[in-house]
Amino acid sequence: MKAHHRLVLLDASGAGVLDWRPGRLHWLGKFPADAAGVAEFGRTLARHPGLPVLVVLDSVDEDYRLEVLPHVTGAARDEMLARKLRQVFRNAPLAGACRQGREADGRRDDRYLFAAVSEGEWLAPWLAAIDAAGAPLMGITLMAMACQALIDRLRLPDAHSLLACRLDGNLRLSYFHHGQLRFSRLITGDATNQSAAFAADEIFKTQLYLTGQRILPREARLTVLLYDAGSGTLPAAQTALNADPAFNARALDVARVARALRVPEEFLVNVPALAPLAALAGAPVLLDLAPPALTQAYVDHRWRRAIGLAALGIFAGGLALTAGQWLAAQTRLDEARRLDAERQHVAARQQALDRNNPALPLDAAELVATIERVRRIAARPTAPVGALAALGRVLERYPDVELDTLAWHDPGPTAPATAWRVELQAGIANFDGNYHAAARRIERLLHELGALPAVSDVALTKRPVEADSRTLLAGTTLAGAAPPAARFAIGFAYREAAQ
Amino acid sequence: MIRLPRWQAIRLPLALVVAAVVAAGAGSLWSAARMRAASDELARQKQALAQARQRLAQADRERRLLAAHLPAYRALVARGVIGAENRLAWIEAVQQANREARLYGVDYSIEPRQPAPAALAGNIPLKQSVMKLKMPLLVETDLPRFLDALKARAPGLFSVRSCRMARTPNAPFAAVNQPRLEADCELLWFTVAKDTGTTR
Repeated sequence: MKAHHRLVLLDASGAGVLDWRPGRLHWLGKFPADAAGVAEFGRTLARHPGLPVLVVLDSVDEDYRLEVLPHVTGAARDEMLARKLRQVFRNAPLAGACRQGREADGRRDDRYLFAAVSEGEWLAPWLAAIDAAGAPLMGITLMAMACQALIDRLRLPDAHSLLACRLDGNLRLSYFHHGQLRFSRLITGDATNQSAAFAADEIFKTQLYLTGQRILPREARLTVLLYDAGSGTLPAAQTALNADPAFNARALDVARVARALRVPEEFLVNVPALAPLAALAGAPVLLDLAPPALTQAYVDHRWRRAIGLAALGIFAGGLALTAGQWLAAQTRLDEARRLDAERQHVAARQQALDRNNPALPLDAAELVATIERVRRIAARPTAPVGALAALGRVLERYPDVELDTLAWHDPGPTAPATAWRVELQAGIANFDGNYHAAARRIERLLHELGALPAVSDVALTKRPVEADSRTLLAGTTLAGAAPPAARFAIGFAYREAAQ
Repeated sequence: MIRLPRWQAIRLPLALVVAAVVAAGAGSLWSAARMRAASDELARQKQALAQARQRLAQADRERRLLAAHLPAYRALVARGVIGAENRLAWIEAVQQANREARLYGVDYSIEPRQPAPAALAGNIPLKQSVMKLKMPLLVETDLPRFLDALKARAPGLFSVRSCRMARTPNAPFAAVNQPRLEADCELLWFTVAKDTGTTR
């Protein structure tokens, strides 16, 4: 509970208001317990409507009980505590419980401090004024709990300590076991009981009561802390107390308390009740005596605040996400603009290059390809001279073979080593009708051609006579008839590059 | 135990939550859309820059290629390989080669220009025109001599697709130096020309 709020100290004499926010305390004054005081109190609160208020009671009507109950949690504990409170404090208008840890052994039950204010009529005008001012009531706690907060802030290590505070003339005695409140009582002050001896006497009585109630172990040595920021008479009681070995009394220096609470020392001197209130401010309310109906407005207030903070968080998150994405988009757009400028620069350079290049009907790639094709075509020989020479040399050995036609075909200069196709048609001179002899002669010619290194695919494409059973074979051997011809055709491939 | 608030107490904060959710969602969606658009624009500009750099590199390569091959290009233009056909020059070259080979004349015909086969042309606009020649020969070696003479003075680029030599059928007996052979040849004349104007 670190949010800005107010603490209202209510006692029989009136109400004091402390405005607290983290790092800042402001005492708004004390309002007397009459109609005018209550009205002024209401007006003071109404200046900041909606500011939560924690009521701290400083009353003689307090009642304390220590209970050990089974360890339960959640709704079961709430029901158990409510039942126990009704059982212990039947007609108390204000009652509450504070869990103070667990037993060390056995079932490890929970230890509770039950507290109540038996008389609450005098509170009604103040609570009505708080409600009328629109201030959500955080809760109603006791001055003894504020004293516990003060003990906690002072970091006092004593196991059994009794804090004796003189606040506005009243003497409050609060017993703590390891810093946790076990019992407290208020002795209202008048002119006859402001002395240190009276205070020491009250402390002795309290020690006897605590021992009798077995709240304080009989053998325990009680540390008595004497705090009196107003009259300053209380510390004198330590001499009388320390005469008894059951006590270890010492005064709490106002300066030390001021340092622990981080408030000016004169602030504590001027408003003695401020020390426990300042210790309580900002701390969780451990003991709340207010019935739920009184604090519903504060529940609403906390939900409103939490939901409002959630809305703010969502909005801030959305805003941050939007801003982040917008910034990222701007960065990308800036980069895109930079790239566009660079692209324009590159394009200008490219256009300048294009302008300076000579205007040709071909682009560079076509020109290079054209030159390569022209070289290849121009390098192609016009005739298979090697094939013709080789053929001539072979035919010199066949004087009876007479050529009719000689043809060659170039499949094209697509590749440098493409084979020429050469075909010849010829006949056997002075053929006497001996087809077997002519066939053997032609076969030998084919064989010699095929043996040439650059020649391949030698084939007899036309025979002197077709003796195949599937074809027609006709001729004549009549006297006077023209002698038969032995004409044939040969084709072969000639690879110029293989020479 | 958590205590719940009264409904009327939290209506306004809940409305604020809804408004905050709507505002945050709208803002996030708007900025996300803007970021997507920016990312797309950035990707587009990166691609455009990469393409521009490629074009620049291409232009630079072309500049160097053109500089390296410009003399060859000019030689091809002068030779008549690039550009329109010069058929009259081809015919004159054929006639002159025929005379140089001391042949007896030639019959010729040139077919319309056609695109060269893709296997030869590749991706260049190579065209070819078929020239058919028919000429009498005295001996077989006349034909290679004629073709070599034509190649030596050809005002263009050609290749010999096919040739055929045959004895003149039923040729009567005649005095010496009378042609008794006949040759038929097909020549391919090549030119490089685009169908539609120039490229730049």
